[in-house]
Amino acid sequence: MKKQNLFAGAAAVLAIAAAAPASAQSIDYGSLETLFGEPVTTSATGSPQRSTEVPVDMTIISAADIKRSGAFDLPTIISRVAGVDILNFAAGQSDIGVRGYNQARSPRLLVLINGRQVYLDHFGYTDWAALPIQLSEIRQIEVVRGPNSAIFGFNAVSGVVNIITYNPKFDKTNNLELRAGTNGATGVSLVSTFDLGERLSVRVSAGNEHENEWKNTTTAVTRAMVHNPSTARANIDAVATLSPKAQLRVEGSWSNGASTQVISTFAYAAHRVKTDSAKATLSVDSTYGLIQAQVYKNNLDALTPGRRYLNEITVASVEDLFKIGSDHTVRVGLEYRDNQLDTASYVGGAVSYTVLAPSVMWNWVASDKLSLTAAARLDKLSLERTGTFPAGSPAQSNAAWDRDISEVSVNLGAVYKLTPQDTLRATYARGVQAPTLLELGGLLIPPATAAPTGALITGNPNLDPAVVSNYQLAYDRDLPALKAKASAKIFFQKTEAVKGQFSTAQADVPATATTWTTYYYRNVSDSEMKGAELSASGKIDGGFHWSADVTYTDVNDKPFTNDATLILRKVAFEQTSPKYRGNVAAGWSNNAWSVDGFVRYVDDFASYNGNVLEPVDAYATVAGRVAYRMENGLEFALSGQNLLDDGQAQAKSTSGLLAERRMMFSINKAW
Amino acid sequence: MYVTRKKPVLMGVLALALAAPALAHADAAKDLQVAARALTFLENGPTGKATLGVVFDPSKPASVAEKNAVMAALGAGLSAGGLTLVGKPVEAGAVSGASGVQALFVTRGVNYAAVGGAAKGKKLVTISSDPACAQSGACVMSVATEPKVDITVNRAAAAAVGVAFKAAFRMMIKEI
Repeated sequence: MKKQNLFAGAAAVLAIAAAAPASAQSIDYGSLETLFGEPVTTSATGSPQRSTEVPVDMTIISAADIKRSGAFDLPTIISRVAGVDILNFAAGQSDIGVRGYNQARSPRLLVLINGRQVYLDHFGYTDWAALPIQLSEIRQIEVVRGPNSAIFGFNAVSGVVNIITYNPKFDKTNNLELRAGTNGATGVSLVSTFDLGERLSVRVSAGNEHENEWKNTTTAVTRAMVHNPSTARANIDAVATLSPKAQLRVEGSWSNGASTQVISTFAYAAHRVKTDSAKATLSVDSTYGLIQAQVYKNNLDALTPGRRYLNEITVASVEDLFKIGSDHTVRVGLEYRDNQLDTASYVGGAVSYTVLAPSVMWNWVASDKLSLTAAARLDKLSLERTGTFPAGSPAQSNAAWDRDISEVSVNLGAVYKLTPQDTLRATYARGVQAPTLLELGGLLIPPATAAPTGALITGNPNLDPAVVSNYQLAYDRDLPALKAKASAKIFFQKTEAVKGQFSTAQADVPATATTWTTYYYRNVSDSEMKGAELSASGKIDGGFHWSADVTYTDVNDKPFTNDATLILRKVAFEQTSPKYRGNVAAGWSNNAWSVDGFVRYVDDFASYNGNVLEPVDAYATVAGRVAYRMENGLEFALSGQNLLDDGQAQAKSTSGLLAERRMMFSINKAW
Repeated sequence: MYVTRKKPVLMGVLALALAAPALAHADAAKDLQVAARALTFLENGPTGKATLGVVFDPSKPASVAEKNAVMAALGAGLSAGGLTLVGKPVEAGAVSGASGVQALFVTRGVNYAAVGGAAKGKKLVTISSDPACAQSGACVMSVATEPKVDITVNRAAAAAVGVAFKAAFRMMIKEI
C-alpha cells in the first residue's frame, strides 16, 4: 500500500511537471565530463568533483570500458579494477571484495545504483544478477577502495560501487542487444529514452538472460542445489523539470531471478530472488545551495530452500551542498532508514531497526596545490523485535532486542599537487559495518524436535558492529610524453570486532532442560591488513590502449580465542585472502573494428569445505572481444571468458563448481 | 665556452618564437571549446546562436595573432551543448560601443582594466586565456587547457556584470 502511494504521488507530480517548459538544474555528468576532459563523480564527497581530484582511492569504469569488456555481468567487469577480488562460485553468482576479506555473501561492500543501495539488507550482500539494470544504460561505475561510510553509511567498509546510469534528461540512450552463446546462453536487452512534452524525460529498460549452470563435477553439490541462472529485469527512470531550478527524478525497478548460489556458510543452494523498488529525488538549486530530498523503498522476497526472507527497507534523506566563499564546500545531510525482516525459517517474529544519521562534509581548497576534506557521520541504530519465539528458544522476550548502536564514521583526505603531473593523496577512514538483520535475529531456524533435543540456529541481538580503519598514501604521476599515467599506493587497514558466522561445532548457548543448544553469530576477532598497489595505463598512437596493475595484501587475523574458531565461523581471512591479484589489458580500435584482451591473475588462497579449509590454486584467466561496428550503429561482437581453461577453480576447489569457458555472440544496435 | 653555451639558448628562444603562432592557434581552439562549454553553465546564459566578440589590440602582434586564431577556431560556428558561437572582432578601444555580442573573448596583450571596465558597463561576460585577466578582476573567467582544463572565475567581476554560474559548475572550478 505504501509503495502504491509512493508511485501514485510520483506519477501525480510527473503529470503536473509535464505541463510547462524550463531548463533544469542538476549534475549533468556528460557535459561536465566533456568540459573537463575527464570523468566526474559525486561518490567521494557528495560534491561533484573531477576524478583526478577526489580525496579517496577511486577507479571509474566508463560506458566504453563496459562495452569493450566483452562481459555481460557486472562482477566480471568490476573484478578487472585494481585491488578487486572476485569469488566465482557459479555461473550466476559471484562475490566481490576489495583487497581481501572476500567471502560468500560478502557484506563489506556498499553497492548503489544512482545512490540507492542495492545490496540486500537481510544478509548485507549483493546479488549482482538481481540488480535491475541493463549494462547499456550505465554511464559509469565508480569503484571506491576503502571505507567511505561517512558519506554513504553502513556496509561501505571495504569499498563502494556506485553505478551511475544515464540521465534521461541529458542522455538520449537507445539500445537493443541480442546475444547467444555456448552452454545455452541467451540474452536480450532493450533501453529506450524519450521525452513526453518539454519537461518530462523518461528512460525505460528491460532485459532477460539465461544460461546453463557449470557442469557439476563434485558430489559435494547435489542436484537439488543447482539451478540454471535466469533473470528478468526492468527499470524506469523519469526526470521532470518542475521549474528552472528544480527537478524531480523518479525511478522504479523490478527483478526476478533464480540461480545456484553459495550461501554464507559456503554451502550451495538453489536460490530465488525477487526485488522491486521505488525512488523519488527532488533537487533544487537554491540560494542556500544544492538541496536534495530523497525517499526510496526496497522490497526483497528471497527464497532459499526452507527459508523465505521478506525484507523491506525505506530510506528518506535530505541534504544541502553549498559553497562558502570561494574555497570551502560543505555538505550537510540527515538520513532516516527503517529496515525490517521477518524471521525465517520460523514464521511469527520480525526484527527491525531504524537509523537516524546526521552527516557533514567539508572540503577546503587551501591553495592551488592543496585541498583538504573531512567528513563525519553519526549512525544511531535503534533495534527492535516483535512477535513470538519458538518454544525451546533460550530467548523468549523481545526486550532483549531493545538496544541502540551509535557509531561515528570518518573520512579524512588530503590531495597535494606536487607539480601539475604529480599528485600525493593521503587518506584516513573509519568505516562501520553494522550487524545485518539476519545476524541480529532474523535468522531463526528451530529444530523439528522438542527441547532439549536438537539445536537452534539464530541471530544475536548483542552483536557489535565491526569497525574498519584504513590508512593510505598514494602517489599519482601523469606521463604526458608517453600518454600514460602511473600510480603507487601503500595502505594499512584494521578491522575490529569481526563478525563470525554461527558454527554447529561451537555451541554459543548450552541446552537446558527446556531450551535447545543454540548457535549464533558473534564477534570473534580483530584483523589487520597491509598492502601495496601499482597500476599504470596509457594510450599509443594508432588507436591502442593498455593498462596493468598488481595489488599485494597481507592479512593477519587476531582471534579472540583461537585460529580454529575463525575457520569454523568462516572468517579466517588470513587464509582465504589471496596475497596477489593483478590485471593486464590491451586493446585497439579504429572507426569500425575494436579488439580487446584481458588477463587476470589471482594468487592461491583457501576456501571452505564444511568446517575445514580447502586450497584453491593460483589461477590465470584470459578474456577477449572482437567487434565490428557499421556506420548505421549496428555492431557485431564475439567475446569469450575463461579462454584458458574449461574447468577452473575460482572460488572453491574440490567441493565447488568449476568455472567454464564461455563464448558469446552479440548484435547491438544503438540509436 | 661561454658563447657556445648561449647559442643553444638563443636557438631555443628562436624556435619557440617561430612555433608560437602555431601553438597559439592549437591552444585557441581548445580554449574556445572550454570557454563555450563554460558559458552553458551560466544561469540564464546564452543558448542557440550567440556572438562572441573577440577583443584585440591592433598595435599588439600577440593580440592580433590570438584574435586570428580564435576567429579561425570559431569558423562558421562553434557548437557546445545547446550553444553555437560565432565570432566578431572588436577592437579594444571600441568595446563600449560594441553591439550584437553576448560575450567577449579578451586576447592577451590588450589593456585588461580598460576592456573589463567597458564590458562591465555593458554587462558582458568576459573570458580570457590569460589567468591574469581574471585575477585582476577585469575578466569574469579565464580558461586554460594545458596540462589540464583549468577554469578560474572572478566572483566580483561576475557579480559586476550580473551573472552567476550553476552550483555544480562552481564546485568544480577555482573561484577567486
